[in-house]
Amino acid sequence: MIRLQRVTKRFGSASEALSNVSLRVDAGAMAFITGPSGAGKSTLLRLIAGLERPTRGRIQVNGHDLDRLSNRAIPGFRRSIGLVFQDHRLLFDRPVFDNVALPLEILAYRRPEMRKRVRAALDKVGLLHKEAVNPRTLSAGEQQRVGIARAIVHRPVLLLADEPTGNLDPALSREILQLFDDFNGVGMTALIASHDLGLVEGMGKPILHLEDGRIEARAAAGHPA
Amino acid sequence: MRPGRRVLDAVPAWVEAHRDAARRSFQRRLQAPVLSLISIAVLGFILTLPAFLWVLLDNARALSAHIDHDPRIALYLDDVAPETAAELERHLETDARVERWTWIDADEALERYREGLSDPGLLDWLDTNPLPDVIDVVPASADPATVTALREELEALAPNATVISDDEWVRQLNSLHQVGLRILTVVGALLGLGAVLILALATASELRERREEIAISRISGATHRFLRRPSLYGGLLTGFGGGVFAGILLLVGIALSRAPLEQAAAAFALEFELGLPGASHLLSLMLAGLFLGWLGARLGSGHALRDAP
Repeated sequence: MIRLQRVTKRFGSASEALSNVSLRVDAGAMAFITGPSGAGKSTLLRLIAGLERPTRGRIQVNGHDLDRLSNRAIPGFRRSIGLVFQDHRLLFDRPVFDNVALPLEILAYRRPEMRKRVRAALDKVGLLHKEAVNPRTLSAGEQQRVGIARAIVHRPVLLLADEPTGNLDPALSREILQLFDDFNGVGMTALIASHDLGLVEGMGKPILHLEDGRIEARAAAGHPA
Repeated sequence: MRPGRRVLDAVPAWVEAHRDAARRSFQRRLQAPVLSLISIAVLGFILTLPAFLWVLLDNARALSAHIDHDPRIALYLDDVAPETAAELERHLETDARVERWTWIDADEALERYREGLSDPGLLDWLDTNPLPDVIDVVPASADPATVTALREELEALAPNATVISDDEWVRQLNSLHQVGLRILTVVGALLGLGAVLILALATASELRERREEIAISRISGATHRFLRRPSLYGGLLTGFGGGVFAGILLLVGIALSRAPLEQAAAAFALEFELGLPGASHLLSLMLAGLFLGWLGARLGSGHALRDAP
């Protein structure tokens, strides 16, 4: 599903955010990326989502060679991915329902089908009763769950999450990770970045450790080649 | 990625997507009514000036058609053989462009001239009659092109005759009308360009306010076309509003300037009535508004989305 070969990313003349990173995540797998902040976790996820282009190296995602993806083909590629952010990035000018429906609007779903899917996604994250409220009135954990519902509502083949538990207490964090595990259980490939090694070790999934833009040897549990 | 979706769904889904974009754009305008009204007012003012010029020109052309002054063509037959004169007469008799014509005999003309003199004996000094026979032609139409064509044909029939037409004034009025049209075109184009740039700026700033929504939509796979759709509907809404507003301003402007214009015309002994613009004028105004609104939104959104993350 995801394959990086000797990928380097440099922003301007600054030092390398990622140096010579190679990794592989198989279709249907779930893996974690850990490391301190600034280690390059977000950059790695942005490269995989096609939001950044690598300075060097090759990235293949879901059968696409991202180097060769034309600008016109990028929107289509991104529709096969769900992205979850630490700060959830919800739109506060519309209710929860419309936030979750956004990817379906982009995919031009018809109203009845859209309603069905949005409700199913909200039900899955336990927020069906909040569909009409403004996300501003929700707690941090609830906002994160709305962000997750938006990321999976169009049933992407790949789910990428960047510090999805960053602002949450341990109990809520475990709940969120359990949600990702459930999605993975129905066939969604998932790659989740977190600085909280203790939390992710309990999940029993492969872990890739990033330090200063390099994959560390201790990531033996993953597929560092 | 869309299991269960049928091709048959594509068209209604497209219609729904457009309807949603239009509705959202309308709601956004209701949320910021003052800014929306300013855009509409600016476009309305900009459209009104060329529209008013257009109405004036249109009325001026109607005026030239109504003036009771038929152009005339005079043929002075100095060295024209009798056969040629006869042929001219036959031609004038059959040509549909000729309303009527009169033969003025040289002797008759001299007699009439003599009657006008205080001392009729003066002309006895002349050995011969210096006046030529004259044909006075009244064309059926005052249209300058028709009059000119008829004159040229008569000239060709009698190359030795001196042909003079008094349709100069029609030509002058017509050329003034052409100048007016040119001024209208230039003024309209400049004002239109200004309107497009103002609306493009407004669209770009509106998109800056939506930048978080745009960033999230991009990440979810939105195309340029999807992202600019609400802006284009916004431009059409502004254009529609501007067109309606300009129509109202135009009607008010005509009502206010009718009396002074008609008085001014009366001072030149002209009968002039400032007519109201017809439905086609108002429709054109609306279409111009819609086009400018759309174009401004298209340029503004294209620019803003290119620069957006």
